[in-house]
Amino acid sequence: MIKKSLLFLIVFYLLVLWQTSFLVYFDIAGFVPNIVLILVILINLLEKPHKYFGILAGFWGGFFLDIFSSGFIGLNTLILLAIALFVKMVLKKHVQAPVV
Amino acid sequence: MKFFSKRKKFLVLIIGILVVLSLNFFQKEVKGFFYFISSPMQKSFWEAGGNAADFFNGIFQGGNFKKENEELKLRIQELLAENASFSELREENEILRKALEIGLQKEFRLALAEVIGKDIGQDSVLVNLGSQDGISEGMPVITQEKVLLGSITAVYERYCYVRLISNKESSFDAEISDSDVAGIVKGQGGSKLLLDLIPQEKEVKTGQLVLSSSLGGIYPKGLLVGLTGKIKRSDIGPFQQAEILPFVEIKELKEVLIILNL
Repeated sequence: MIKKSLLFLIVFYLLVLWQTSFLVYFDIAGFVPNIVLILVILINLLEKPHKYFGILAGFWGGFFLDIFSSGFIGLNTLILLAIALFVKMVLKKHVQAPVV
Repeated sequence: MKFFSKRKKFLVLIIGILVVLSLNFFQKEVKGFFYFISSPMQKSFWEAGGNAADFFNGIFQGGNFKKENEELKLRIQELLAENASFSELREENEILRKALEIGLQKEFRLALAEVIGKDIGQDSVLVNLGSQDGISEGMPVITQEKVLLGSITAVYERYCYVRLISNKESSFDAEISDSDVAGIVKGQGGSKLLLDLIPQEKEVKTGQLVLSSSLGGIYPKGLLVGLTGKIKRSDIGPFQQAEILPFVEIKELKEVLIILNL
């Protein structure tokens, strides 16, 4: 658990750095793709609904986006956490895993 | 093994959010610390991004080079002709200055800063000068070619954010060169600019030079903003609008100049 949390912390720190300084050169019609948001959604979609690493991913992703933005700290954290919880809720309530 | 019960997980999440929100009380210290430890890596990423973008542009736009080259040659010829007439005007201007004893325009005191990151979606860039270098909020930022970029918003000890003129919260007075047309340049986000509140009776053409005006007291007079693009006229409204094609793209920014004395 702690190992995985630390791994998420490092991965999202590097990813946000990469996104804010490297990826800005590769915008699509003026918009830079938000890789952190995409990754948070993917992790939440792919992990089992009762696990909570997706929420942790949302937390760290949002936190580092806040740190490397000019706005107040917490805005992106809350947005990504809300998205992670929303995806989890939808998966739990409305998507049934296929029986093999 | 269940590490936390559901209620505990929820509690940990709430505490985490509260801790993050409380960091706003030490925002300068927290962000300053992260920028300090990240700046070597961020700078490398920024440079690598620039090189990679140049490489891919070279591949994808190879076919356009010939056409672009011809256009540029034509433009050089036009500029040379223009330059010749300007040198005559300069001489005349100097003679008149001497005659009227007008001093040269006040020179700016500038500080050179390197761009190390961009705030995605906010049209602002992070540069490597901060309060310890004498930077304070509101200082205008330009390029070496005297193109207006924006102004300083958040200042940390070693770093600061530059809010670009294309930011949605940015607006300032501007005028069109060689005419009496004035308006307000408003940031549209996504590197887009709009010259608004141009009186309906004034004639605006595409390709005219837009310069900053000292009217609002935000920026010095005569800094380059861009060229007018598509003109939007409405028969009902009292004003017309013009899109502005900016001179600089964020991607091309490597170094910027901060005006220390306005």
